[in-house]
Amino acid sequence: MKDLVYKYLSEGISRRGFLDNMTKAGITVAAAENVLDAISTSANAQDAAAPATQQNNPVKQFQGTGGACFAEQLTACGVKYVFGNSASEDAQFYEALVDRPQLQYIISPHEGPGAAMAAGYIKASQKPAIVMQAGSVGLMNAMGQIYNAHKEQTPLVVYSYRTDQSRRAGRDGFEEIANQEQVVQPITKYSWMARGPSMIPETVRHAFKTAWTPPHGPAYLTWHSDYTDERTRTEIIQQSHYDTRMRVRPNPDEVIRAAKMLVEAKMPIMIVGDEVTKAKAAAKAIKLAELLGMPVTQMRQLWANFPEAHPLFVANAPAGTLASITWPKNYDVVINVGNKMQHNGVNPIVARGVKFIDMRIDYNNMGKVMTTDVPLVCDVGLGLDDLYAAVEQLMTAKLREEAATRAGEVRKFTERARSLRMGFVNSPEWNNAPLIADRVTWEVAQFADPDAIIIHEAGANVMHSFDFNPVGGRELFFYYGGHLGSGVGTAAGVKLARPNQQVICMVGDGSFLFGPHALWNMARLELPVITVVYNNHGYGGPHSRTIANVPSGRMVETGQMVNGYLGKPDMNMAQIANGFGVAAEVVHNPAQMKEALARARKATIEGKPYLLDVQVGRRGVNQVAEPWIPPISGAQMRTKKV
Amino acid sequence: MLRPIFAFVALYTVSASALAQDKPADPGRDLVMQKCSQCHTDSIWRDQRQNAGAWEATAYRMMARGGIWTTDEVKTMAAFLGREFGLDVPRAKPQQR
Repeated sequence: MKDLVYKYLSEGISRRGFLDNMTKAGITVAAAENVLDAISTSANAQDAAAPATQQNNPVKQFQGTGGACFAEQLTACGVKYVFGNSASEDAQFYEALVDRPQLQYIISPHEGPGAAMAAGYIKASQKPAIVMQAGSVGLMNAMGQIYNAHKEQTPLVVYSYRTDQSRRAGRDGFEEIANQEQVVQPITKYSWMARGPSMIPETVRHAFKTAWTPPHGPAYLTWHSDYTDERTRTEIIQQSHYDTRMRVRPNPDEVIRAAKMLVEAKMPIMIVGDEVTKAKAAAKAIKLAELLGMPVTQMRQLWANFPEAHPLFVANAPAGTLASITWPKNYDVVINVGNKMQHNGVNPIVARGVKFIDMRIDYNNMGKVMTTDVPLVCDVGLGLDDLYAAVEQLMTAKLREEAATRAGEVRKFTERARSLRMGFVNSPEWNNAPLIADRVTWEVAQFADPDAIIIHEAGANVMHSFDFNPVGGRELFFYYGGHLGSGVGTAAGVKLARPNQQVICMVGDGSFLFGPHALWNMARLELPVITVVYNNHGYGGPHSRTIANVPSGRMVETGQMVNGYLGKPDMNMAQIANGFGVAAEVVHNPAQMKEALARARKATIEGKPYLLDVQVGRRGVNQVAEPWIPPISGAQMRTKKV
Repeated sequence: MLRPIFAFVALYTVSASALAQDKPADPGRDLVMQKCSQCHTDSIWRDQRQNAGAWEATAYRMMARGGIWTTDEVKTMAAFLGREFGLDVPRAKPQQR
């Protein structure tokens, strides 16, 4: 009983856990409650008598198994959800969860989608979470999503044990690989193996601190599995007392230089990026753009970081460089606000010779490819505040007039562009069955709620017609990292974080097949997500780009493309969904699409996920109705009919 | 479906070298060179063979990806592409590799 009292007072077990253990020891419920009342009163009295500095002490001494220490520190880190896949060496951690209902474990049937779910939850909630796997073998499955988190700068904390025990390591044992933590080193901000059970909480704290200190990124922690079983005494420290709370203001001298450059520009242009959304600074970006009458664009990012229907938004750059935007072409000053500026070609996103102001906290990626006239290393929310104030001070009546004239020019372009772009509904294939992909997107855009969240892992398809708006409108979660199989898991995690917003997962058939497993989580956890699969039975993008890489080659001449076609037999995504416990249907034409979406809405209102397997026509170079497939037949190889 | 790439990469373009070789003036060619080369080189599309209607659908697909063109411009480009890269136009012979 002494142990139980200690555990209860140190918050090692809950009130219910204490009572359960007492009754298991043969004590009646009434007697156990009396004991509980007595010790609670005593503990409260001690708290009241203690000096103020000891009350709400952020540092707690804790004694227990390594697994219990892990659970204690996760709670102190502010973690509510633990995403994971079954890992028997974590038994003492699971044991610790029983009496810690504040930590909720979500089991995923595959580590990849499980990690995507964790990352989706973190991105949508901006709250900490952890994903854990079984040793090196589980880690290998999760690594694709760790890579995504690295590219997207998502603060995903990942743990997996080393199956090899501390006193038997180095023997090439079961599931053992040397230096396990180093496997993920290139794609994490921090990877470390705790050197003993008492070091577990410190390692956990450091992982969370590093992941959540901007620029964000994943962190990985591990330790020998016997440390989880071993009892130890250690410190548990609250998040508030190790977090660096790094919010950096820009260099004031550079702010003044940037402000002068912007007000003197004939045609300044702003590129926005994900740091705007992370800093909740979209309204500030709008305010600065409006003050200067400045057009706004965005390069490839995770989120839509500026209202797409705003009259100053001239559209996303279609080919990833500023030169690919239709208008304006005469920009003389470019300011980046929080875009990661990922290059995918030899040309700099901002061409040489144009004045460039780079505002972001991602200092490591600044000055890498583009020449930078004014670096503003900062939290972009604070940076926009300071820059706005500096620009406003410089704005004379004449400059305000020029800005208003420029805003008028931009508006004229965006209104015309908007009207012309909608012309795609005039496609002669608009009413085709199977549907063209743009019809699918358009139908979903007509259907989606005004504050819907769209998860996009749909290949080359563009999420047009949604008018994404980070200030209270529809939101986009794009598959920026590119390791496929993230969409369904991300959608489940986003819905967990935002249960009161409609979540629609738009996914290509190829992407879907890399990770449909979280459909099961949607069914079990009652996460009513609508999943729409663009099912063209092929890898459309790779097909076209393969030909582009070998134009006029033998592949084209013979039609023998080995890497683009997923038919013969066609796969049925609705049946896959049914297997995970999710209601679904196959959609063949536009009329069915509308009806199916109505059924999806009904299902989600009732709290159930729903999937549409939409049959989409293959489009692109040399796409044919009956593609060639390699003539490999196991049936023909056999000499015995078995 | 598309494997990891820039999802906004649209398909078709025409490079100056491919289309400007000693050909008479053609408004369709001019438009294709002006509009499509904003994002592409010709390697991604030059093996395509389809009729003008299908080229028109292709152009509309590019509009959904950011192309800002009028209906007349789409028709003019499609007519040109249907002539130059229609179903009955032979493909280039494979190069020795």
